[in-house]
Amino acid sequence: MHDIPRAVPQDGPPATPRARTTAFLRAPLSRRAWTETAYCLLAFPPGLVGGVLLTVLLALGAGLTVSLVGAVVGVLVLTGCLGLARGLGAVHRALASGLLGERLPRPAPPRPGSGAVGRIDARLRDGAGWRAVAYVLVKLPVSALGMYAVLWWVTGLINLTAPLRWGVFGQNTSGDGDGMPVLTPLPAGGLAVHGFTGTFGALALGLALLLLAPWPTRLVVEADRWLLRALLGPGRLAERVRDLEATRALAVDDSVALLRRVERDLHDGAQVRLVAVAMCLDMIRERLDAATPRPRGPEDPPPSEREPENPPPPGQEPENPPPPGQEPGTPSPPGQEPGTPSPPGQEPGTPSPPPLDLVRLRDLVDTAHHNATRALTELRDLARGIHPPALDEGLPDALATLAARSALPVGLSTDIPRRPTPAIETIAYFCAAELLTNVIKHSGAGAAAISVAEEDDGVLRLRVGDDGRGGARVGAGSGLTGLVQRVRTVDGRLLVDSPEGGPTTVVVELPLHA
Amino acid sequence: MGAMRVVIAEDAAVLRELLGRMLVERGHEVCAGVGDADALRTAVAEHRPDVTVVDIRMPPSHTDEGLRAAIDIRREHPGTGVLLFSQYVETKYATRLLADGSAGVGYLLKDRVANVAEFTDALARVAGGGTALDPEVVTQLAGASRRTAELAPLTARERQVLSLMAEGRSNAAIAQTLVVSAGTVEKHVAAVFDKLGLPPSQDANRRVLAVLRYLRT
Repeated sequence: MHDIPRAVPQDGPPATPRARTTAFLRAPLSRRAWTETAYCLLAFPPGLVGGVLLTVLLALGAGLTVSLVGAVVGVLVLTGCLGLARGLGAVHRALASGLLGERLPRPAPPRPGSGAVGRIDARLRDGAGWRAVAYVLVKLPVSALGMYAVLWWVTGLINLTAPLRWGVFGQNTSGDGDGMPVLTPLPAGGLAVHGFTGTFGALALGLALLLLAPWPTRLVVEADRWLLRALLGPGRLAERVRDLEATRALAVDDSVALLRRVERDLHDGAQVRLVAVAMCLDMIRERLDAATPRPRGPEDPPPSEREPENPPPPGQEPENPPPPGQEPGTPSPPGQEPGTPSPPGQEPGTPSPPPLDLVRLRDLVDTAHHNATRALTELRDLARGIHPPALDEGLPDALATLAARSALPVGLSTDIPRRPTPAIETIAYFCAAELLTNVIKHSGAGAAAISVAEEDDGVLRLRVGDDGRGGARVGAGSGLTGLVQRVRTVDGRLLVDSPEGGPTTVVVELPLHA
Repeated sequence: MGAMRVVIAEDAAVLRELLGRMLVERGHEVCAGVGDADALRTAVAEHRPDVTVVDIRMPPSHTDEGLRAAIDIRREHPGTGVLLFSQYVETKYATRLLADGSAGVGYLLKDRVANVAEFTDALARVAGGGTALDPEVVTQLAGASRRTAELAPLTARERQVLSLMAEGRSNAAIAQTLVVSAGTVEKHVAAVFDKLGLPPSQDANRRVLAVLRYLRT
């Protein structure tokens, strides 16, 4: 699932028994042991103070709330507790991050509520805050255990100095003649040594304690790590939401990039080829005009209406030289050039191909040219519908072109100091285009106005207004439903204000990033 | 205008070669055919052509290299006409191109090459210091104009004449397009200038300038 990436253990389990022994002997000198010990030491004061303080305040707040008399104060104290717990959580996260390499993302801040009651309600429902409370409370015993782990180090170090102390101070340090006390972290009763040689036993015990000391420390720290992840991280659901938001933003950006590429390919590939085709056809047409006795302009009626003028091609008629004596007045097709020879070496009896009918050919080329130019127009409209090229220059330029192309007079004002991501620009543009189309189709308005601005709250607001008859509604087959869905893919909103009789204003709110 | 000396800048080799062939067949001289803006600048400095055909979108960034090169060429070689041609028409490109005046500039959709005769006419106009604007450019300039109210009193015919003037066409060409007499066109032109409050002008260039300036404000 979606585990928080954790710090890789600095020293994993060594493979061979020999290596394992070396690792065990070196553990007290390892960096990890020291930082973990430092963590136990440093996390103790905030753990202790925070834990005690929060316990007291929680008890106070809960008591007041239950007592009814001080319910309001109690609730306020409780919300204060949540804030305090979040603050303490931040301190612990910082310590864990600095010393343990345990980097936990901050949980999302509590949702802002509106009004005093709403704000308190939002705070009390703050799940991350309550988890922080739980951590601070559990941290109280855990930090005590941490201090106990530190005790192993301290006693070990003190015992190491036993022979030295004997030499400097003599045996009678405590003055009661019971020998020199030997410290242990375990409740093993009053151990003591009574001779200089005995101090070496204390020294050996100290060494043993230091050798073992990393392990209780590690045990406590591991438990603490687990608690940190479970209670001070953003929580599994929040993590999942973040993950989904990130991947959705990627998907939205990706689809915009893809559409942009399609538009480029259409413009630079298919369109260029089609232009070349149309140009060639026009050049062919010019040559045909030069060769045809009756040149025609493109405004001539289509070929079907002219058909009867042309004699049918002499389909089955053999083109062999006419027998002597036949009337030479047989009409030859008007397009045929006088010099066109019949194919040489023709077998007698096989029907010859019809001669080149230039007029008919000219008609076909005309039709092809007409279709090619129509296709060019359609292709351009299609490409613009996929991704208007002006968007590369930014939303203001694209909207300026949109407004200029509109059949209706459109007033335009833009104020976008920070450029939004391409996905947001594209959504804003298509919203403006669709809303403008709606104005022209349904509102009967005489003029429209588009304004787009990044406002103080960091939201991009697109407003499309008209002076038409109003009555626009989401879900009335107006095309607004599709826009709402499109805007929602980036957590945007679409608000319609359109009373019967008008005027209509539609506001689209978008974040600057997907 | 007789034979023109032309430099073609177009990154699609198919179109570049076809354009070159077409112009050569019509008796013009193609000094160079290049595929990017830097090569265009070099070729224009070297050959000093009468006119250059420039694709707006060229490598490396495929955005507006051609337009920027065109503006530089207008400034550095005023004798060279620049005909931009593009897959689509953008209001901003048109205003940038026309910012320094409309003499010797053109902006056509690539589609217009499909009518070879009209395209070479437009090219000759630009080479001769005239203007050639695509009908779509004119429509967008008019659409972006804030003077829609002042254009309202024009009749449909007068609007047509206004657009054709803005495209850079002469009275004779307008008459031919609308299939009316030259006299009728002159009457329409006078009416347009009168209704818009523009000083009448016989000079074609100054006339285009006046109309465009009017539309752009």
